[in-house]
Amino acid sequence: MNNNILNIKNLSKSFGAFKVTDDIAIDLKFNEIHALIGPNGAGKSTLIKQIVGSVKHDIGSIILDQEDITDLTDIERAKIGISRTFQVSSVIPKFSALENIILSLLEKNQKTFQLFQNLQSNKDLFSKAERILIEIELDNQSSTLASELSHGDRRKLEVGLALAMNPKVFLFDEPMAGLDEAGTKMMINLFKKIKSQSPILLIEHDMDAVFALADRISVIVYGKIVATGTVEEIKSNALVHDVYLGYEV
Amino acid sequence: MITEKFFNKWIFLLLLIIPILGLIFNEPYYITLTTKVIILGIAGVGLNLALGYGGLISFGHAAFFGIGGYVTAIMSYHAINEELLFDWLIAIPGSSEMLIIWPLVLLISAFFSFLIGLLSLRTSGVYFIMITLAFAQMLYYFSISWPTYGGEDGLSIFMRSSLPLVNTMNPLIFFFICLFWFAISIYVTSKLINSPYGMALQATKQNEERVKSVGIETFKVKLIAFVFSGAITGLAGSLYTDLNRFVSPSVLDWHMSGEIMIFVILGGIARLYGPLIGAAFFIILEQTLGAYTENWQFWLGLILILEILYARSGIMGLFEKKNKYE
Repeated sequence: MNNNILNIKNLSKSFGAFKVTDDIAIDLKFNEIHALIGPNGAGKSTLIKQIVGSVKHDIGSIILDQEDITDLTDIERAKIGISRTFQVSSVIPKFSALENIILSLLEKNQKTFQLFQNLQSNKDLFSKAERILIEIELDNQSSTLASELSHGDRRKLEVGLALAMNPKVFLFDEPMAGLDEAGTKMMINLFKKIKSQSPILLIEHDMDAVFALADRISVIVYGKIVATGTVEEIKSNALVHDVYLGYEV
Repeated sequence: MITEKFFNKWIFLLLLIIPILGLIFNEPYYITLTTKVIILGIAGVGLNLALGYGGLISFGHAAFFGIGGYVTAIMSYHAINEELLFDWLIAIPGSSEMLIIWPLVLLISAFFSFLIGLLSLRTSGVYFIMITLAFAQMLYYFSISWPTYGGEDGLSIFMRSSLPLVNTMNPLIFFFICLFWFAISIYVTSKLINSPYGMALQATKQNEERVKSVGIETFKVKLIAFVFSGAITGLAGSLYTDLNRFVSPSVLDWHMSGEIMIFVILGGIARLYGPLIGAAFFIILEQTLGAYTENWQFWLGLILILEILYARSGIMGLFEKKNKYE
């Protein structure tokens, strides 16, 4: 049995003469956190956008749970189980934290096109959303508008939105950016817990968090994967030191 | 502070009182004027669903208003002249029965809004504004060049469409018919915006990319709103034709689209009763300032500028500031 839930092969994308992703091959196994690191502008977020389908690739293939999703739209990919967070927080600003989570629950629960049933009568949606808010430690901000949440809480809420979709894979784009120590710790514990539910492809610049979480790490530079390995292998890789880690380790 | 819901109840009560006073003081003109306000309010309620709750800035809702108006007039014209409406394969007669005209108007308006929405909702922002305007103008020029139904001169129907057991020519009865449809349009809008679908619609207005990322087909969400919106506005067009017993290409003109948009903005975007208040304010200005100067719309423009600068929540916003859906 194939041990990978997500398989990406030969994925390339150019904007004019600039190759933003170049022959990328990366996979994600069940129950793992695979971190993707690299300098700014290396193509990490573009790769995420190609996986979710918001940026069309030039060549390559994406297989999710043995299904070729290469030609599916971004919405179809989200429906079949790709859930993401954005590099810059993206929530529904005039909805409360609870309403944001409920929105994310709609499609999975086949409620989106209930035109005339009162939302308030969907008690199951509310109780599911409340459980997720507890999981991301935002239950005390349940009725706060997303636009009024702190930056850190908005990051948490985004993860909550991803959780609510109960996806096959999570794609988290710098979820810990701007979080304080407690927030980062909460996120690390949460990710460790949910990776058995759905594996995570994680882009993150906080290397302490990456080393604490990742089962495997891939390093991307100028749109190319230059190394993949365990934390120890990456830490001791001379090329990775030169191009990204420098003297921080 | 007065809440919006409380204010809405008073508006409804006021709507009932004005025509009754008109009847008591034998001033049928005021009954007709209030009826006109209600009909224009229904058109605004229709647009408000797309614009206010869905963020779809349609500058072509005159198309649906006009379609409703022309369907009503054409059906009545054929019924009055005892001519077949359609005589190819099957023979379809005209009708001046409201119970036949209303479903037909709703169906045809919905069909056209589906077609126009299908094409225009692939665009957004200024392109959406322009494409909806273009569709309405196409219909406008088509109506001008259609001599069978009056062309530029419009089409008179002499008799208001009829309803069993009541005399629709009685201004008060026709007022209550329009009030009934206003209540229905408010009820439908209210049900829609408070449903899971309504949540998806209002979220799409705020952050479409995020809504897509949770697997919701935002195109379908917007299209449904556009179809309901067009159907409601079409119904208003039908009632407007019956009120005036006349329809002309002016109901399809971009001025009409602009006026419906003004009702929504004046009353308060994404406020259930906002379009009605906007329409009432518009008619009051027309009746009062219009008596003194032909250029009364100059003052309307000034009011709109002041509102956009200092009171974006519209007249309804003066009573309840916070509305998360604006």
